[in-house]
Amino acid sequence: METPTRHILGTFENALNTLRNDVVMMASLTERNLQHAMKGLLQRDNDLSNLAIADDEEIDLLEKQVDQTGIELLLRFQPVASDLRQVISAMKLSGNLERIADQAVNISKRARKLNQNPALDDVHYLEPLFNEAMGILKDSLRAFIEGDVDLALAVKVRDKKLDEANAEVAHRFTMRMAEAPDRITDFLNLLLIARHLERVGDHSKNIAEDAVYAAAAEDIRHPRAQKAAAI
Amino acid sequence: MDTTQPQKHTKAPQVMFESPNNNGAPRTVIEIENFDFSYGLKQALFDINLKIPEKLVTAFIGPSGCGKSTLLRCINRMNDLVDISRITRGNIRIENVDIHDRDVDVIELRRKVGMVFQKSNPFPKSIYDNITYGLKIQGIKDRKRLDEVVETSLRGAALWDEVKDRLHDSGLGLSGGQQQRLCIARAIAVEPEIILMDEPCSALDPIATAKVEELIESLKTKFTIVIVTHSMQQASRVSDRTAFFYLGRLIEFDNTQQIFTRPSQKQTEDYITGRFG
Repeated sequence: METPTRHILGTFENALNTLRNDVVMMASLTERNLQHAMKGLLQRDNDLSNLAIADDEEIDLLEKQVDQTGIELLLRFQPVASDLRQVISAMKLSGNLERIADQAVNISKRARKLNQNPALDDVHYLEPLFNEAMGILKDSLRAFIEGDVDLALAVKVRDKKLDEANAEVAHRFTMRMAEAPDRITDFLNLLLIARHLERVGDHSKNIAEDAVYAAAAEDIRHPRAQKAAAI
Repeated sequence: MDTTQPQKHTKAPQVMFESPNNNGAPRTVIEIENFDFSYGLKQALFDINLKIPEKLVTAFIGPSGCGKSTLLRCINRMNDLVDISRITRGNIRIENVDIHDRDVDVIELRRKVGMVFQKSNPFPKSIYDNITYGLKIQGIKDRKRLDEVVETSLRGAALWDEVKDRLHDSGLGLSGGQQQRLCIARAIAVEPEIILMDEPCSALDPIATAKVEELIESLKTKFTIVIVTHSMQQASRVSDRTAFFYLGRLIEFDNTQQIFTRPSQKQTEDYITGRFG
């Protein structure tokens, strides 16, 4: 992507930078929360789970702040072309980050329930899922920040693989429920945590799609619907 | 390829619209080809190639001195009034007629190609006489016909309801926005095919601007409109096609939405996002 030259209007440039910085801050807090949530689960550490739940509030506030800055930018400067795409994408991105942070909260709440019972080795089947979901999230954010269209497109493919991995893990946990009926609730929580991680992948894919729109003005969402409409 | 869309400009400005009546594409009404224009020794336009579609609004944008108003004034030969102006190459054709041909009657050309200026300029006459002035010059004296044209033109310019009870008051007594709409009514009274507008809202308040913009939207069902504007927002609101000029050259010509969301040229992007300089 060609690096844009500085805007003539310094206040506009500053407002765009503020928006960008808020999104970057929100992204790093969301990543941290997701890590705390998973560590709380894997290390059976309720303090980390509680931390992830408590820190979600900060991310909620940042989401509102990004929206407010975005609306102000639209109102005051009526941005067009790449500037407009940056503002729209940043506002959509913050919504996806907030939902990812909500998944971290959900994971933490389930982890606290699981921690009340004896440890299950099966929890470690979630580790590869988490690593892939986190990898997809990081790459989609990098694609947005660096305007890297190829990286964003690769994320879409990886999200499909994450969906498949989630289906496999869910199948395994369902089988285990039959083997250990006294731990059905715990396996159900593990199964739903896998589902939360799969949702992280979905939101990260949305971020990657917004990254492509911001960088290249291409709307790559729902390709099947677009093909059907073209017929 | 979607033939209803104009081709994208690549490097050197080329003829960018489809041939007339090509698979339902907008018909070209003004065709500008390899057009160079100078004021004395100073060349103001360089190799302009542009096809302006019929019954759509085409906006010319660009920084001051880029040649957009010069090109607009070439379309009805207003630049003939500037002694030192000369066309050094190329031509402008309206409905396939070279407007600079010796046979072309300039008065008839300007009837066919009306113009609305930056500052409203009603004649110091009544509202009625402002509208009928052009018709009377054409020799039309039938009172009934003139009355009809006055009403139709004022309705067309969305001014009728505001002035119908004072048609014989001076046009100069109207507000700035009303005066500009009176000038538009005067322009459409002679039934032109094309209306050129040179920053028609630059002296108007936001309400009057909105009224003129609404009017432009309704006028395009009957007329081909070319508008020069410094307001990026206005270009994006009122036009279907946008041409960006810089230093006397046409840099990019495309659908307005395309220009304002995804311009293909970096110079266009830099200008519309305010990164020039």
